[in-house]
Amino acid sequence: MKRLSRRHVLAAGSIGATAALAGTAACSDPGADGADAGELDPSADVTISIGDQPTEDKPDQRAAFDERIGEFEAAYDNITVEPSTEMWEAQTFQAKLAGGTLPTVMGVSLTYSYELIENGQLPDMTPYLEELDLVADLNPLALDNVKDADGSIYSIPTGLFSVGIAYNRAIFEQAGLDPDTPPATWDDVRAFAKQIKENVPDVTPYAQLTTNNTGGWMLTTMTYSNGGRVQDDAGAEAVMGQETIDALQVLHDMRWTDDTMGREFLYDQEALRQAFAGGTIGMALQAPDCYFTVVKDYGFDPASYGQGQLPQGGAGNNGTLTGGTLKLFDAKATANQLLAAARWVKFYDFEKYYDEAVALADAESAAADNSPVGLPGLPPVSQDVYDRYLTWIEPHINVPLEQFAGYTASTLQLIAEPPAATQQTYAALDPVVQQILTDEGADIAQAVADANTAVQAIIDQAAR
Amino acid sequence: MAPTPDAARAAQRRPRPRLDLTRWVRGGGLHAVLFAVPVVLVYLYFSWGPVVQGLVLSFQKTNLILPAEWVGWGNFEYVLADPGLLQASLNTAYFALLALVFGFPIPIILAVLINELRKYDALYNALAYLPAVVPPVAAILLWKFFYDPDAQGLFNSALGWIGLGPFPWLNAEDSAMPSIVLYATWAGAGSTAIIYIAALATVRTELYEAAEIDGAGIWRRIWHITLPQLRNVIFVMMLLQLIGTFQIFTEPYLFTGGGPNNATQTVLLKIYNYAFVNGDFGAATALSVLLALFLGLLSVVYYFVTKRWSTA
Repeated sequence: MKRLSRRHVLAAGSIGATAALAGTAACSDPGADGADAGELDPSADVTISIGDQPTEDKPDQRAAFDERIGEFEAAYDNITVEPSTEMWEAQTFQAKLAGGTLPTVMGVSLTYSYELIENGQLPDMTPYLEELDLVADLNPLALDNVKDADGSIYSIPTGLFSVGIAYNRAIFEQAGLDPDTPPATWDDVRAFAKQIKENVPDVTPYAQLTTNNTGGWMLTTMTYSNGGRVQDDAGAEAVMGQETIDALQVLHDMRWTDDTMGREFLYDQEALRQAFAGGTIGMALQAPDCYFTVVKDYGFDPASYGQGQLPQGGAGNNGTLTGGTLKLFDAKATANQLLAAARWVKFYDFEKYYDEAVALADAESAAADNSPVGLPGLPPVSQDVYDRYLTWIEPHINVPLEQFAGYTASTLQLIAEPPAATQQTYAALDPVVQQILTDEGADIAQAVADANTAVQAIIDQAAR
Repeated sequence: MAPTPDAARAAQRRPRPRLDLTRWVRGGGLHAVLFAVPVVLVYLYFSWGPVVQGLVLSFQKTNLILPAEWVGWGNFEYVLADPGLLQASLNTAYFALLALVFGFPIPIILAVLINELRKYDALYNALAYLPAVVPPVAAILLWKFFYDPDAQGLFNSALGWIGLGPFPWLNAEDSAMPSIVLYATWAGAGSTAIIYIAALATVRTELYEAAEIDGAGIWRRIWHITLPQLRNVIFVMMLLQLIGTFQIFTEPYLFTGGGPNNATQTVLLKIYNYAFVNGDFGAATALSVLLALFLGLLSVVYYFVTKRWSTA
């Protein structure tokens, strides 16, 4: 056989290279076809991707979700749905959003609403919601969070919540506390925690979220409970004052004077809920959706779960923080995709509130795979519609509602999250909470003053 | 660069050829260029493209959806005025210092010890390298259990038997960074030790034999032969470690998220937060450019300083 010479190799290589270049040129995208939204044609074939599919480790939920997709595709045979386990995560969301790798629609924290609208990262959904006759059905209070100044609607708010306090009823009983009486004030929280510490060994009487922006989220909540604010209503100024100092003082005293906060001070939402489900936490600030996670995902005994309204400071009755999920639609999707995606949201999140048969089927299948049915929360629809829905599903409700009585009876004012650069504001407040819990000599007033400076810089940078 | 002997010989043999297109093509010149073009293009696009793009982004305000806006030095002014930058820099330097003082000698000692073994050295090699095989995310999760601040935590239990602790580990500002250095040393020692072991194999055994005849003990042999012979490897490894430690990210991100109270906030974690949490890609790239400049400068200074030492 003839030996390969250098020239042969070079020739072969250059031919291969030229072919490869030509191939690349042929494959390159002749122009993104998603950029142009196109004409709306409700019956045209369309493929959408949807996020928030439950992951493999939650087989029941995943099967139920997939079943709903099957029903949806059967009802609208021009729509093909590609589910994705993509879900909102504060630590990666911005990069994925910028990278354009998110599905056509998925749920993200309502905190991003103003920022996303202002940055042009949400499409104007008004025509599609009108086409689907969905606008009148939505909770008008929540809808205000996803509108711009002209009244255009950019998203669909769902999964609304207000923060309260979750507590372990078994620990309360062991400590000699009445499990039907959650703490109503921060003084109660302190006293209850002390009583737990005296009577129940090896548990953390009161735990606080501190990392991945949850520290700032809960400091904001505590500030609200004392009647204060973190930003002014316009989101132009950082206004933390005595109310925030008082909130931190309570934490400081529970940590250093009473020693009722355990030894772990780097909790994020997941870690705290795991510890709560493990039965080692007496009380923690949580919205009622905590029940779903600890019971369904971590096997916590439902009989031990108690939920009260947010403990109040000062003169009381100051309010609580409310938030939720917004459906993030892909700003680069076509008109037909956006309509189909909105249709999916209507089908998956709203139909049960208006159709008794759907409500019953949904509740039955959820109850069959031991998912909580009838979990208290703020409805994404108007209160009347929601009440009617609750009467429909009543026979299937499996959540011990009497253990939520302290929460559901609440008449606290619902206060929205800080409007400007919300997650960044929370991120800037994480270290403040951590400092109070890990440094006994921390100067609280100074820490709050510094936090105001930091948040102000974030507001200014965001408005730049 | 000095010409290779082959090239030098070829230059002597032939007179300098005139520029002749046909001969160039027939000699394989065109093929050579075509052969290289894709590699060069791919390299430019994937290696230098992001670098240039990063530089451009650092002068822009963009969310990568709306058109970008030029903001001049605005991003640099913002990151330099960030009150957290000083602490992040100090934390990073603190980590680099701790890693240098405590983490750097350990792989050398490990390598020398393993090298002294006559038997089972392969086994010890494998054992030393094992931590490098464990994926960092899994290892860090494990170490989080070890660092459990309760008295029942793994380290605290063990230390409790000899009457120490319980220590808060990651949950206190003073001990969070040393705890991370402890982990990083454990995780990094194996792979560095392997490089030293390879280098030790090149040390000529006659030197040891001669020293032994002269009556040198093991410590004198290590001090006067092993370390000087490893000098160049040690300098390179130190530079790589310095650059690596200034870019520390995974450990504080997974262990503490930068807490408590920013005690483990590092420069790279700050860059990450600018980009991925705040969505401020301009600020993130601006700080990245500053870090790159600093590391470049550090490398140059280091090169000249150690060049003097190694030729001395």
